[in-house]
Amino acid sequence: MQRRRGSRWGLFGSALGVAALLATSACTVDVPTDDGNNDGGGGDGTSMLLAADNGSPTFDRNFNPYSPGKRQTSTLIYEPLFVTNTLDGTETPFLASAKEQPDPATVVFTIREDVVWTDGEEFTPEDVTFTFDLLKEFPALDTNGVWALIDSIEVDGQDVIVHLTGDNVPAAAIIQKTIIVPEHLWADVEDPTTYTNEDPVGTGPYMLGEFTPNEYTLDRNEDYWQVENVAAEELILPASNTQLDIVNNGYDWAYSFMSDVENTWVSAAEGNTFWFPPGGTIAMFPNLTMAPFDNPEFRLGLSAALDRDRIADVAEEGYVEAAGMSGLLLPNQEAWLNPDLPDGGAVSQDVDAALTHFEAAGYTMSGDQLVDSAGTAVALTLTTPNGWTDWLRGATEVQSQLAEVGITVTLNQPQPAAYQQELQNGNFQLSMGSFGGTGSIYEDFNRLLSSEFLQPVGTTTTANFQRYSDPETDALLAELRVTLDEGRQMEIAHELQTVVFEQAPVIPMFYGGLWGLFSEANFTGWPSADDPYASPATWDANPLLVLTNVEVAD
Amino acid sequence: MRYLLRKIGLLLLTLWAAVTLNFFLPRMMPGSPTDAAIAKLAQNGPVSPATRAAIEAQLGVPTGNIWDQYVAYLGNVLTLDFGISYTFFPQSVSELVLTALPWTLVMVGVVTIVAFVLGTLLGVLAAWKRGTFLDSLPTLTGTFTSAFPYFWTALLLLFFLGYVLQWFPTSGAYSPRATPNLSPEFIADAAYHAVLPAVTILITSLGGWILGMRNTMINTLGDDYVTFAEANGLKPRAVALKYAARNAILPNLTGFGLALGGVVGGSLLVERVFAYPGVGYLLYNAVTNQDFPLMQALFLMITVSVLVANFIVDVLYGYLDPRTRR
Repeated sequence: MQRRRGSRWGLFGSALGVAALLATSACTVDVPTDDGNNDGGGGDGTSMLLAADNGSPTFDRNFNPYSPGKRQTSTLIYEPLFVTNTLDGTETPFLASAKEQPDPATVVFTIREDVVWTDGEEFTPEDVTFTFDLLKEFPALDTNGVWALIDSIEVDGQDVIVHLTGDNVPAAAIIQKTIIVPEHLWADVEDPTTYTNEDPVGTGPYMLGEFTPNEYTLDRNEDYWQVENVAAEELILPASNTQLDIVNNGYDWAYSFMSDVENTWVSAAEGNTFWFPPGGTIAMFPNLTMAPFDNPEFRLGLSAALDRDRIADVAEEGYVEAAGMSGLLLPNQEAWLNPDLPDGGAVSQDVDAALTHFEAAGYTMSGDQLVDSAGTAVALTLTTPNGWTDWLRGATEVQSQLAEVGITVTLNQPQPAAYQQELQNGNFQLSMGSFGGTGSIYEDFNRLLSSEFLQPVGTTTTANFQRYSDPETDALLAELRVTLDEGRQMEIAHELQTVVFEQAPVIPMFYGGLWGLFSEANFTGWPSADDPYASPATWDANPLLVLTNVEVAD
Repeated sequence: MRYLLRKIGLLLLTLWAAVTLNFFLPRMMPGSPTDAAIAKLAQNGPVSPATRAAIEAQLGVPTGNIWDQYVAYLGNVLTLDFGISYTFFPQSVSELVLTALPWTLVMVGVVTIVAFVLGTLLGVLAAWKRGTFLDSLPTLTGTFTSAFPYFWTALLLLFFLGYVLQWFPTSGAYSPRATPNLSPEFIADAAYHAVLPAVTILITSLGGWILGMRNTMINTLGDDYVTFAEANGLKPRAVALKYAARNAILPNLTGFGLALGGVVGGSLLVERVFAYPGVGYLLYNAVTNQDFPLMQALFLMITVSVLVANFIVDVLYGYLDPRTRR
């Protein structure tokens, strides 16, 4: 989960960054600019420099929060009902002050009072229902697919009552992510899908300040309903945030993969810290519709043959941990971990065990090659997207480790769009891929294992790419979807982990990091391993959590 | 006149072929625009199934059979309507191209002219004083620098002049808080930002002009009329410039015409390294995002200008060198 675009340049850049720091005796280099671009790092302390929005290479003025080309900070100007910490699923109320699920088919959101739009109009529950109606009328705006879950919506005083299409407990977590827009302005927008909303009016902690194509600012909304929690008076967002810029320009918060982070980012300035928690699981997806992957023993053999610690080290420079076979994101989701899984689901390399599994699947070693019953050597193709260098390093390591158990692996590296197509169509043998990281146990496992996404090879699917289908697993998922009983939810979560552990529908290898770089020089209270109240991600609603928690440094 | 008509006919035929190829080539790339959009989102973590449906609805990914699309495309080309970009949704392609074009035209255009003039003059000098220091220095340096890859030169300049010495800004076409306008301050700011990318292109392209000019000029210097001019006691400078160089410049002129035609394509690698908002960067974005409408418009613009430049050179040749008219 890093921004891999242009990572070739990134590597070049960071190599140069190291050299730059050495060449200048590791002191901070300020790039000359003719304005106060650098006051984030060491300036007046109330304005914050963020690498949170990248121009391509300049900014388009688009603050439509539903547009794919939106400015990332649109989610600081508008707010959703609740914000979920994607690391562990904790929910924080924003435009709703509370919610209740009286039965599995109903969610009641109590809408916050005394909230005003930045043009002075009062925010009301009608704005909420207007927004949902808007998404229904324009499905292109409905990026979370809420109208696949909702049957109808009604207002009752300060409450908004959502009637679902059926029993669906996890639906609330998706519905409450919806970003709410003002009825009095958006009702007149002719086509909200192409609307660029150049002068946004929201309820959020920030409003648009000065906008230029190379940089813009956001000013604190002094009438914000929790303005006392918002420390930074101004946010500065430059369009160019190369790794060289990040190391040299004194950012307060940046999101970027950084090679050799200790000697680049950390040594660049006093107070620089980083936190790289796992944001998803990087796995090998075996195509379960074909031999030998249709045999669980063969998949378990592959799993046992891998030295995951080594793969994680090689792929991500030791920034992330190896992933076990529980299917969970650890340590984020530790509370859900099935205590019956040996070693918490971790699987260490065991060539003998691997060969035993292969033998059970009908494959034996012949000389230095693994062969099937007809004596044909096993040769596999592993697909990984071109240019995603960390995945490629992982895949190359897999290649050499599987060679040790007599399996020849060929790497197939299509362009990212073609990779996506091959993955969705099931046009692969083994493919690198990622799963999890939504913050919801149900969502994570449902997308991974549910036959609701099952499509024949050649037909596009949007989840369950390996094409797993098992009635018992489906029954577990169906029950998890409707049960409000937290004890039962936990039991089902345990059973789903056992499914992954014993059947290996995917082969998790390592965690994809979220690359958060922070400076404590001007602001403190950033999310960290000790206080993981939010992820370091600079997109979606996550910055709302972070910017209402940080404080001005003493 | 028949020569001109034949050239015009050829131009139209090539244009049609280019326009048609331009339609089919992007569509032969594996993956759809939606796949590209999802791949981009997937870099931040797994993408939800609902997102795919919304993106498809939003982009209005082309439907209908390929022949209908082709006919509609030809109509659009004739009316210069290239539709909405997928990457920069909901901006129109024409708007994007018109924003990027001036940056490329001015920066790459000026450098191309400077490189041609400077390189040709140095080539003349080197050939005239062949065997001396004035020959070996530009020739050797030119051979050396023209072998540099663009991005490598760009990264070196970025590092030394941008970061270590901090003489020049390292990215963008103007200062962070500036808005493009035509005030003298802004133009000075833009020129300052253009120095590093421009020098990069100059360094890598200068050598070609020097070597080309020098080599043809040396051939020309051996011709009888040059000896005759010298024997008649003309001043060396007049012989070099008026007789030898004037005849030797033809191949370089062809190259110059083509280079000018190629200017609109920008300089992808240089623009990418310096985050310069020109056509090259736009093309990079279009290709990596499977942005068919934007790709088509850009490729079309590039092919048409190269073809037109080619045509002009052809026509000029007809007058400069009557032998080609046959």
